[in-house]
Amino acid sequence: MSDPPVALLAELTYRCPLRCAYCSNPTDWRDYGDELDTAVWSRVLREAAELGALHVHFSGGEPLLRDDLESLVRAARDAGLYTNLITSAWRVTRERLAALADAGLDHVQVSVQDSDAAHADALAGTAVHAHKLEAAREVKALGMALSVNAVLHQRNLARVGEIIALAESVGAERLELANTQWHGSALAHRDALMPDRETLARAQAVALAARARLRGTMDVIWVIPDWYEDAPRPCMDGWGRRFVTVIPTGVVLPCPGAHGLPGMVFDSVRDRPLGDIWREGADFQRYRGTGWMSPTCAGCERRDVDFGGCRCQAFALTGDAARTDPSCPKSPDHRLVRDLRRERPATAKEPGGPLYRIDIRRGPRAS
Amino acid sequence: MSDDARRPTLARRARLRWDAARAQHVVVVPEGVLALSAEGAEVAALLDGRRSVTAVIDALAEAHPEAPREVIGDDVRDFVGRLVARGYVTLEAP
Ligand SMILES: C[S@@+](CC[C@H](N)C(=O)[O-])C[C@H]1O[C@@H](n2cnc3c(N)ncnc32)[C@H](O)[C@@H]1O
Ligand code: SF4
Ligand code: SF4
Repeated sequence: MSDPPVALLAELTYRCPLRCAYCSNPTDWRDYGDELDTAVWSRVLREAAELGALHVHFSGGEPLLRDDLESLVRAARDAGLYTNLITSAWRVTRERLAALADAGLDHVQVSVQDSDAAHADALAGTAVHAHKLEAAREVKALGMALSVNAVLHQRNLARVGEIIALAESVGAERLELANTQWHGSALAHRDALMPDRETLARAQAVALAARARLRGTMDVIWVIPDWYEDAPRPCMDGWGRRFVTVIPTGVVLPCPGAHGLPGMVFDSVRDRPLGDIWREGADFQRYRGTGWMSPTCAGCERRDVDFGGCRCQAFALTGDAARTDPSCPKSPDHRLVRDLRRERPATAKEPGGPLYRIDIRRGPRAS
Repeated sequence: MSDDARRPTLARRARLRWDAARAQHVVVVPEGVLALSAEGAEVAALLDGRRSVTAVIDALAEAHPEAPREVIGDDVRDFVGRLVARGYVTLEAP
């Protein structure tokens, strides 16, 4: 038994010209080159709307690299979906933004790496910052709603005040301060990016004060950091409960990170309608509800609040995706998380030590 | 100028629609969905930027002659106020 999903996360491509050290996407992104075409995506958008989804979030990789993005926005609007583009704004022109607005794009979320160009461009691996700000203003000028997203970690947490000011200056209605989730490249760069407790606490105080000050003007959202809270994050609001993800190749997942879990069946929209997969697909049933839970979670009063936390994190840290998320103090594996926290402030001038970038995304793979 | 002379407008980023899967009216916004009661949906549909608060109340009073006008007025001001506080409705000068 399942409720209808509220939103479709449409990951149009995993290709991306940026190299964000914190990127949560799969590091073997080149294996996803066989992308769905416009016709199949259009069908998926209709099926999602029929199933009960109200939003579509176009993401990736960089969705702007799909030159059929305008058609897909139009198909989504025709199906009645509220359309959101999650983007780095890579080289987007005013004309392209106008065409997207014309196709019915409701909302654009632009990600920024930092508050100033030097830090931001270093983290993205290419010069993008100045253009992002121009693009964000253009989004507003065209009458679309604007959010800014900044992924936070040891290298930018101290500038959270400046990041908030930046979002205000481009006229964002919403700012997502998203503490890094440890998947994909972020996991590979964990040592360089892991915040220390003091830095986090200071940034959180700044964010919460700004949230109070800006209420009614800009919605400031502080996404709690993994591993530092005393309760696990309610990952995806529960497995197969509110969100459905379709990845570039057409595989349907309960969570974009679920690709790395063992034993997945990977139903594809190429073979089955989206609704069938959502309702009956083995991957969706696996951790839906509470039947799969370990006794730790099954007997806990918070099982319908946080749904046992994040399956990917449980797997990454314990090797068993069905265990209680180790972020939870009740988890028998909780010490794993404590060991990974940076309890003492870093003393080096460049916090977290030198940042190395594993350049997993460069160039086509020789085959 | 009385507040009731101002014209409430549903923000462009907030879209009122019927949600067939859940059999309810909703306002869809970038970060989520607000479920509306049948009464709320009736009020929301009138927030078109042309009607003043007074005109919204007039329209509802006409549609519901059985309901006291003061009650309708209080409900409308309360509902609009909550949407304004969340930034989903703006109040234009008359
Ligand atoms: C993977 S990106 C794809 C869209 C586009 N390339 C971009 O960066 O905006 C989707 C969103 O996730 C955010 N993000 C990326 N890595 C993250 C991580 N490790 N933890 C939390 N959010 C992350 C990005 O800032 C962006 O808002
Ligand atoms: S987070 Fe950065 S690297 Fe990852 S998809 Fe977005 S822009 Fe590309
Ligand atoms: S034991 Fe399970 S359900 Fe209870 S708080 Fe921890 S993760 Fe959540």
